[in-house]
Amino acid sequence: MSDANLQVAAATAPKTQKQRGLWSDAFHDLRKRPTVIISSFVILVILLIAFFPGLFNFHDQNVKYCDLGLTRGAPSGQHWFGFDEFGCDYYAQAIYGAGPSIQLAVIVVTVTIIIGGFMGVLAGFYGGWVDAIFSRVVDVFNSIPFLLGAVMLLTMFRDVQVPLIGGRLQAIIPAAITLIIFGWTSTMRLIRASVIESRGLDYVQAARSLGASDMRIMFRHILPNAMAPVVSLIPLSIASMISVEATLSFIGLGVRAPEITWGMMISSGAPYFTSGFPRLLIVPSAFLIATVLSFVLLGDAIRDALDPKLR
Amino acid sequence: MGRYVIRRLLQTVVTFGVVMFLLHYLTTLAIQINGNPVRTFFGDKPVSDSVLAATKAKFNLDDPCLTRVGDPCMGIFQKRMGDWFLRGDFGTNFKQVDVMESILKAIPVTLQLFLIVTIVWILFGITAGTWAALRRGKFIDYFVRIGTTLTVAVPGFLLLLIVQKVVGVLLGNWARDTFGRESVLGIIFQPSYNAKYAWLTLLIPGIVLGVFGIAGITRLSRTSMLENLRSDFVRTAKAKGLKPTRVTIVHTLRNSLIPVVTLIGFSLAEALGGALITEGIYNIPGMGKLAYDAIKTVDTPVIIAVTAISAIIYMLVNLLIDLLYAVLDPRIRYE
Repeated sequence: MSDANLQVAAATAPKTQKQRGLWSDAFHDLRKRPTVIISSFVILVILLIAFFPGLFNFHDQNVKYCDLGLTRGAPSGQHWFGFDEFGCDYYAQAIYGAGPSIQLAVIVVTVTIIIGGFMGVLAGFYGGWVDAIFSRVVDVFNSIPFLLGAVMLLTMFRDVQVPLIGGRLQAIIPAAITLIIFGWTSTMRLIRASVIESRGLDYVQAARSLGASDMRIMFRHILPNAMAPVVSLIPLSIASMISVEATLSFIGLGVRAPEITWGMMISSGAPYFTSGFPRLLIVPSAFLIATVLSFVLLGDAIRDALDPKLR
Repeated sequence: MGRYVIRRLLQTVVTFGVVMFLLHYLTTLAIQINGNPVRTFFGDKPVSDSVLAATKAKFNLDDPCLTRVGDPCMGIFQKRMGDWFLRGDFGTNFKQVDVMESILKAIPVTLQLFLIVTIVWILFGITAGTWAALRRGKFIDYFVRIGTTLTVAVPGFLLLLIVQKVVGVLLGNWARDTFGRESVLGIIFQPSYNAKYAWLTLLIPGIVLGVFGIAGITRLSRTSMLENLRSDFVRTAKAKGLKPTRVTIVHTLRNSLIPVVTLIGFSLAEALGGALITEGIYNIPGMGKLAYDAIKTVDTPVIIAVTAISAIIYMLVNLLIDLLYAVLDPRIRYE
């Protein structure tokens, strides 16, 4: 149906019918798609694994317990994916390997959206020299290729301990900070463009003539309306952060040992692929691909639903 | 137009300066926080102060400001910029090898790799995107869209590893057994780079590196084609009675390619990061491999030099594209 037809239909629709907004319209559209249902289900399971790995540890394996005598042992009923090169249970490793990378991705995306969103709103709303400064800063960070910049920072500060935190956060935070430093620019640009678009619209003029302050216009009126493109960006950035973290883990720069990640498992399992133990590469790869794919599919679907033009 | 060019050049100069300062500041900060890297040369062995001082002087790491955390060390910055850009001297790495020399040796190999990547993008990306746009809503459109989603969903390094194992080792062993070690297929399917057959062994890693960025190019050519197919000038061309192939190629495709060419420029600069993984896994002696090896040995001078050169390339490409755009597309407003 073309846009014109839609408008006619909307105009002639009986007034009693409830009008749906952008969000609930998008939700109704999404709810019916099989890819959305499947990928949401996978994401739910993966998030459960990431935050409560104990729930999936069906045979009560101790993830730290390794027996060199069982090196690369075959799968069995108790040990679904067999053992890795050090004789650790591979199923438990895969389950506990989900946590660090996914928690890292969630932290990075949350912080980039807060920082990028705040700066984007300021730059887009005020324009002029504020915008010029923010845009130059973005230019600077964009000039350094993402992966190279992350690799450079993480190599230089690879032995630095972040004070005041311990355990898993200590393993995650250095990589998280690096990815935030190089990741906030894309959110900022997106929000900025979207704010510039809505800055001159009628409702902003209306709010201003009612005497609303800049702060109120920015964060109560413009920001909620400028959020649409960011919402579809959330799953997509989580996907790309998980995949970047896996890449960094693979070259030994991501989440630090003794935490386990899928990237590390891929790195240590890959050499055995052609020597009779392909599952050491296939198992972590399958987990990684399923996770990233689900987030990408969900993000694509949300983007299509919120902005049908792109379809 | 003239004012736009001048302003754009000034912007580049400012960005360039800030990027260089940032790289310099991070290097000094790393030394200030981690301690002087010279100390690690001697391992656990006791070392006299005079030897330590001499070694520090040899690597230009004897400035007292390197002990004050947070000090930007402007003196070192000036000296470093002079070395980098006036004398083209990026110093030596910790094994006393001249960094600039190894980079100059590595650049042609990386360029070869990138040529293959570009061809892959043009040959497969633009064709697939155009084709999908022309058959919108048909099988091929869905096929291309699912394909691009899959290339985004599989992390690049994983794809490389799997291709190396499956194509390089399994398929390669079969090809080498069947056709002989020196046959074309046997060489193409090799799991690592071979300087004797540079182009043939670069083919597979080049294609896989191309897959990294192909999704964006395919999708952009598709949406750009779709937009232009709906436009008035295409309708006019059809109404004039021009042949459909001419309308598609000359009127629609040529106009749709402007943003795609821009994206190819950006993606190439971005692929410098991907080259790190590709060249590392496939053992290709390019810029990426230099950085990849430097990570293992924590050889920061090399990583800094590679990052700096990549950033310079990125900024130049960016500038060039913006200026070309101003010439090619008169619709762009400069204010």
